[in-house]
Amino acid sequence: MYVMERILKRKAPVGAAAHRGNAVEAGIAKGLFDDAPLEDCVSEARKVFSGLAALSGDPRKEKEITAIPAMVKAGLQELKPYGKPSSAQGKIEWKVEGLFVPVIGFYDFEWADHGILVDLKTTHKLPSKISTNHARQVALYNAARGNNLDTRVCYTTPSKTAVYRLENSDEHVKALEKIAFAIQRFLSVTNDPQELASIVMPDVDSFYFADPLARKNAYEVFGI
Amino acid sequence: MGLGLNYRRSGGGDFLPVCKYDARAGRAFRVDREDGQNNPVDITRNFKAVFDMENIEVGWIAFPKGAAPDFQLVPLGEEFPEEGPTPNHKQGTRFVIKLSAECGGDCREMASTAGAFLDGFNALHDDYIAGSAKNPGKLPVVVLDDTIAVESGGGNNKSTNYQPQFKIVSWVPRPKDLKPSPRGKAAPSRPSAPPSTGSQRVEAPQKAPAMAAADDEDFG
Repeated sequence: MYVMERILKRKAPVGAAAHRGNAVEAGIAKGLFDDAPLEDCVSEARKVFSGLAALSGDPRKEKEITAIPAMVKAGLQELKPYGKPSSAQGKIEWKVEGLFVPVIGFYDFEWADHGILVDLKTTHKLPSKISTNHARQVALYNAARGNNLDTRVCYTTPSKTAVYRLENSDEHVKALEKIAFAIQRFLSVTNDPQELASIVMPDVDSFYFADPLARKNAYEVFGI
Repeated sequence: MGLGLNYRRSGGGDFLPVCKYDARAGRAFRVDREDGQNNPVDITRNFKAVFDMENIEVGWIAFPKGAAPDFQLVPLGEEFPEEGPTPNHKQGTRFVIKLSAECGGDCREMASTAGAFLDGFNALHDDYIAGSAKNPGKLPVVVLDDTIAVESGGGNNKSTNYQPQFKIVSWVPRPKDLKPSPRGKAAPSRPSAPPSTGSQRVEAPQKAPAMAAADDEDFG
């Protein structure tokens, strides 16, 4: 997917689930920052979703828009007790010696007075722990901020919410660094995008290729 | 044994002058560097030093002839690789001491892979552990009380080494110039499992500030 979308610029539209995540976050942000009533927060979330998914042909669009109000409600119930965040969508830049470009990211919410940083994840199934990819993501935020944050991931479903505290932050950052250097080494093989594409093969059963256009692109690029 | 040594590894750098224990001779030397030459000064008879037992390193060490030693070390208590990086690396230890004034008075590192030395140092470490509870925050002043001949092998391979008999004679606060100075760091043994990510549920902070109040479904 990385080769196809980032190197060959053959991008496919993101699914409705991704739009749902952004929409719920917008709704929750409205509740946290403006202390807006729930109906206004839901309205904001729906508005954002409609805008993002207006041209989406994803068949899961209806399912996602239906889930938005409950997700906003559940997320606000969990995060309102934290108070008003000091910032949101803050840019994080993590520079690693030997890495030609910095690793960047954007955290969701920070409560600077408490030293707490929370990343919001929406899902239909509540996980029992932070996923590895999410751990790496928020560990990056922690590292870039001096490793002195209480870094958390908030998983919100239509019916439940759980906030988990990140563990082993250093280890996850190390993993991220290894991945970044692996990508750098891969990119250094050649300046020819087609040559890079010729030395990898995608798992087209992966959900990343669920979108028909992504699948079509994969077939055209990789021949499988 | 108290140092947990059965293997070996550790790093490099620019470092302290050296104090050496020659297990084959049972002698302790302060190695002075003059005009690019090493000049060993025998301090066996009056050896006395403050040992920084709080910052012992263990792991793998190689002492190649004609070249700088290579250290692949971790702080005592941490895991280190079960195998050395090369066959020349042997399990050993490194630590820093501050020599008494009559021995030179400066801070030096000691490192060894010799079994006889490690046995003697291990016994010292046991004594240190036993005495440290009654001397919190202090470091032991150690003398070389004796050396004991230890024979190993047989026939033509028979050899004799001398195990140092270190003795703690007093405890003192850490000298100001005896600072932790790790020599090198080995890549620790790779854990058998990936690090946990976090499964502890947490609540909102108790005192909230004034409030204006990987599957396809995981998206922020």
